[in-house]
Amino acid sequence: MMPYGSLVEYLLSGQFVCEVTAPEMHQKLAQDDVRNVIDEYLRPLNRRVAQSEDGAVYFLAWNELTPEIREQLKQQFSTTMHALLPLLDWMQIVQESLGKDGTIAPGDTIKLHEFVQKTEDHQGLRQRFGQLAADKFFNSQAEQLDAQAKTVFKRLKEHGYLTQPHADRQYYIATGKVDYLIELVRFIKDEENLPVEESSTQEELWS
Amino acid sequence: MSSGLQNQKMLELGGERLKLLGNHAELLMDAYIRGEFDEAAVGERVLQKLIQARILWRPDDAYGLKLRPQIANMIAGLIADESRRQAHADVSGELDRIEATAISYTEAQHKGNYSYADLQLQLLTEAVYDLTGQFEEAIDSLWQRLNSHFGFVASLTDKIRENELAHKQIHRLLEGLELVRVDEMITLAGTSSELRKLLVVYLNQKLSVHHASLLAVQERMTELLTRFRAQQERSLLVAGMAAYLRQHPDFEPGDYSWRASLPDLLNQAKPLVPAVSVAIDRATDAEAMAELVNETPVRPTRIKRLQEVRTKPTAIAHGETAALQVKQERLKQDVESFYLSVLAAGKGKPVRALDYLAQQGLDWDGEIWLYQVISEYQGLPIEERKLFRLTYSETPMSYFNQVQLVKDIELQFMADGAQ
Repeated sequence: MMPYGSLVEYLLSGQFVCEVTAPEMHQKLAQDDVRNVIDEYLRPLNRRVAQSEDGAVYFLAWNELTPEIREQLKQQFSTTMHALLPLLDWMQIVQESLGKDGTIAPGDTIKLHEFVQKTEDHQGLRQRFGQLAADKFFNSQAEQLDAQAKTVFKRLKEHGYLTQPHADRQYYIATGKVDYLIELVRFIKDEENLPVEESSTQEELWS
Repeated sequence: MSSGLQNQKMLELGGERLKLLGNHAELLMDAYIRGEFDEAAVGERVLQKLIQARILWRPDDAYGLKLRPQIANMIAGLIADESRRQAHADVSGELDRIEATAISYTEAQHKGNYSYADLQLQLLTEAVYDLTGQFEEAIDSLWQRLNSHFGFVASLTDKIRENELAHKQIHRLLEGLELVRVDEMITLAGTSSELRKLLVVYLNQKLSVHHASLLAVQERMTELLTRFRAQQERSLLVAGMAAYLRQHPDFEPGDYSWRASLPDLLNQAKPLVPAVSVAIDRATDAEAMAELVNETPVRPTRIKRLQEVRTKPTAIAHGETAALQVKQERLKQDVESFYLSVLAAGKGKPVRALDYLAQQGLDWDGEIWLYQVISEYQGLPIEERKLFRLTYSETPMSYFNQVQLVKDIELQFMADGAQ
């Protein structure tokens, strides 16, 4: 029997493994020899274990890139690009609404109730969130903030950016995929030489 | 005698002034918070008293009355107000005092003036405690700031600024600690065991502990600063990219997928769900499978049907009628198996009824078979019927007769109930 059967199955299903979603699996994948065994096992399926820059998330990447696969990756990337602005918007709204110092990071807890309450009290945020919820990516038809928030958070859970430890309790924890997204943003910024400031000299513009 | 009198005077004056602080505690705290004393709240006489007692002062005629810095600092220390608490580390001044007092003590000892020597020793002890106490206070303040993540300021940029200030303070404290030299203290203590205890053993021990704490707090401060910076960088990146995308709605990044070396970030394999079905081709699994089947919950409609069968009186059949009934029942069972095989084929995969008939080697007449498949479909409850899609393959009877004949039937399983 394959020693890491459930781990392999989890990875194959397209999941990202991070410390928040699956701490035990994450710990295993942090070991070189475990990754080697799994890579060997996955070779006939043309897959291998890939990781983000700092090893915060593990996922499966193609081993060899055929033209068909490249075409598929291109489409996948384009889908991600379309979701990028709504995701970034959401991150900003959450940060502002909950009065956090920084952008949401893996392990951060968001209580839906608290988020709704704080957003409700703030006309500007309320409006921005309403627009965001109606975006194609979230696609909420609801008028009520509460229902909009539920849809948005559910969608984020489906996409792996959040996990919900208890199905019946409305609180969510950000996963390592949030970091993955930030890394992607940084990559695009560097590749395209976008005039997006990362240094603190421009901070007054945003505050 | 005169020193006793002096002490008595100090006691009275100090007590009086401390009471003054207590009597106007709320107004003074208000001045601490607002930065200015409310002169209208008290009479002129009280005001003069407070100024005389060196509690309030007027730095400039244009400004109102303020708390003297020592008083403000004392309050900050009392309530651990990290935004105002100041740590002074004027070590060289303290060291000069310690040195002078130690020499004066030694001289008094030599001269045999023991009561004066005792007084000097008391002053010296206080000086040493003051020095170590200063470091203790400063270090405590630094830890408080660190543990609260500089919670006393609101924005991240302010936190970074505060952290940088704390770094400078740690630096100054460490420099101050270096001014205290053990060899000098040993020389200063000479042969006196009292001085040795105080200057060499106590001071040294304390200061080395402080040194270690300062290094620890410095390390943690650096970690926190790095984290603050990373947080800030992330926020700016997210805000910056969002702003850019909003300003350039048509922005299309390059096509990275054709690069010779594709970064892992963009190389995400398609999900693959390993599907498994119940298999009964291994004898050893038979028992486990049987258990599984037993555990499978029976659908309510099925239960109802079973109950109907049980409660219905069975007509006793004879001869040909009985044979016919058996045949009819077998046909029904075979059609049910056909439906199950459609389910097994999976969602959206059509199965042709006649193909199935041939594959299974069943000896039913094609037309009867098709007829039973249709009637079974129509016999399903509506919600279950939605799960299947029945398609007729029809052909006209002949060129002249447009009556459509059903040649075959395709049955498809639609999991979501779409028609």
